[in-house]
Amino acid sequence: MSELRALLADTTERVLARAPGWAQVEEAGLAKVLVPESEGGFGGNWEDALIVIRACGYHAVDLPLPEAILESSGAKDKALFAAMMLAAKMAGALQAALDLSVEYTRQRQQFGKPLASFQAIQQQLAVFAEETAAANMAVAAAFRAADRDDAWFEIACAKLRANQAARVSTGIAHQVHGAMGFTAEYRLQHLTRRLWKWGSEHGNERFWSDRIGARIAERGPENFWPDLTE
Amino acid sequence: MPGFDFPPFALPPQARALRGEVRAFLKDALADKPSVERARSWSGGSREFSRKLGKQGWIGMTWPKQYGGHERSYAERYVVIEELLVAGAPVGSHWVADRQSGPLLLRFGTEAQRERLLPAIAQGELCFCIGMSEPGAGSDLAAVRTRARRVDGGWKVSGQKIWTSNAQHADWMIALVRTGDAEQKHAGLSQLLVDMKSAGVTVKPIANLTGESHFNEVFLDDVFVPETMLIGAEGDGWRQVGAELAYERSGPERYLSSIRVFLEFLRVVGASPSEAERLLIGEMTARMWTLRQMSLSVVGKLAAGENPAVAAAVVKDLGTSLEQDIPRAVQAMAGPADDAFERTLSYLLQTSPSFSLRGGTREILRGIIARELGLR
Ligand SMILES: Cc1cc2nc3c(=O)[nH]c(=O)nc-3n(C[C@H](O)[C@H](O)[C@H](O)COP(=O)(O)OP(=O)(O)OC[C@H]3O[C@@H](n4cnc5c(N)ncnc54)[C@H](O)[C@@H]3O)c2cc1C
Repeated sequence: MSELRALLADTTERVLARAPGWAQVEEAGLAKVLVPESEGGFGGNWEDALIVIRACGYHAVDLPLPEAILESSGAKDKALFAAMMLAAKMAGALQAALDLSVEYTRQRQQFGKPLASFQAIQQQLAVFAEETAAANMAVAAAFRAADRDDAWFEIACAKLRANQAARVSTGIAHQVHGAMGFTAEYRLQHLTRRLWKWGSEHGNERFWSDRIGARIAERGPENFWPDLTE
Repeated sequence: MPGFDFPPFALPPQARALRGEVRAFLKDALADKPSVERARSWSGGSREFSRKLGKQGWIGMTWPKQYGGHERSYAERYVVIEELLVAGAPVGSHWVADRQSGPLLLRFGTEAQRERLLPAIAQGELCFCIGMSEPGAGSDLAAVRTRARRVDGGWKVSGQKIWTSNAQHADWMIALVRTGDAEQKHAGLSQLLVDMKSAGVTVKPIANLTGESHFNEVFLDDVFVPETMLIGAEGDGWRQVGAELAYERSGPERYLSSIRVFLEFLRVVGASPSEAERLLIGEMTARMWTLRQMSLSVVGKLAAGENPAVAAAVVKDLGTSLEQDIPRAVQAMAGPADDAFERTLSYLLQTSPSFSLRGGTREILRGIIARELGLR
């Protein structure tokens, strides 16, 4: 990570971890991550923006920060990029739910030992970690593609992969938490309820599978791999 | 947690030209190969094909020239191996040697071992097999009992290996054996290079459920192994085999094994599939694309000199799940189709259960991941 990007990550973390108001976010300049330095912004690219947007998901911050970033960008296909933003928030929320689940199962004891020591729990959380890694990978690759050129395919795959990961992982998160995770008070629901909502917004699995499937079929088997490696 | 961090990795520009070269070569070399044979992927092998690849400079690509390698980047090697896998090239004769035996020797082998074996591997002349599993040591690999007893000038090795892929064709086996006491479970292990032509080596093929014989039992009966054939340090076998398994698990063969039936499915559904077919294609494409990004990220880690063991376990578990889901989902969705499709599908339905066993089972990989999460 470049020094500037590390600085951005630090600032983002510092501000968003504290349930900020819009004023604090603005003051920290987070909405201006894509705005050129000459115009008083951070002068970053989409990969920098990813840090900020993903953190909104991680900290379950509902401020219109991704929207402001998108607005400031030159992106033409706003609906497509909105899907990319949401996929990034989902990747962040998945990470937060995973961290919470790991922490919880290490603390909570049953049968005289931590839940984390039971293999059935370990194997489920391993799947959770894999799905979270996959969603984060897909999103990172889509944001990188967005800096380059036409990123329709990458963004479509990223939102779909994030949806898939959320479907599998939210179930695991709740299972390993027992009844505690089902309460209004405990933090998990702030993440999982958002994930369920975001899984429907800007294209659910059917929406994106259908479009990707149509495009792939139209291109035919001889172009599948060449296109994938373009 | 670093094991779960997958930074995007972009292939360098020179990889593009190389990809074109490999495609052109394979188009020509595999012209009439039917789909079901391509589906064999790295289970199918041909010495002649391996020699051809050796001539192209596509084996041992990253190794030093001094040992017959080509000093190309990990990224370039990646391009070659993914093209070989997608085309369904018969790479089985040199695959293990190129992927793990060679790199293991490069890292832990003696100078004499490297000079003798690496150039021949790079020319596609040598076939290696993996002598890890035994009847009593599957997932619990450290339970191996094959024993190497010190004698004048080397060891006498006795015991049995099993599930050894390609043993019937192999020139060499890298065997994990017990050189110390059984009480020192991990510390008593070492890795030896066993010449498969040695007296006392008996190979018995085992037919798998498709009727083919890829794996074998290997009986070692007082086989003499010279001192010079110890890899690395005596008693260091457990650490070394861990490194070997990281090489074994880190490549794109762990998510591409079923691509042939996916391509066949695309062929039979044509340009205007039904909605249900589109949904299947879209789902699998997104998973495959993501896995390729993750697999590339592992290459980036290798290139940066990192140990990608945990990341490789993540990719392998997600990848083998995809490889198993594809034939099953395709079967559930497919209408009546032609023979080429049916045979490819039936072959992959039958072989895909092995994908999450070979190279470390799904449960063992998830155990590695759980450890990285701090759960154990
Ligand atoms: C096609 C194929 C090719 C192979 N080629 C080679 C080769 O070339 N060389 C070689 O050395 N080996 C080879 N193997 C062997 C392979 O490495 C083993 O099959 C694998 O390590 C599992 O061992 P096992 O088959 O004895 O199963 P077991 O270890 O008996 O496991 C059976 C089941 O129990 C589960 N299990 C075991 N222990 C645990 C645990 N602690 N917790 C939870 N679940 C557990 C496993 O995950 C699995 O689901 C090959 C296997 C196959 C299928």
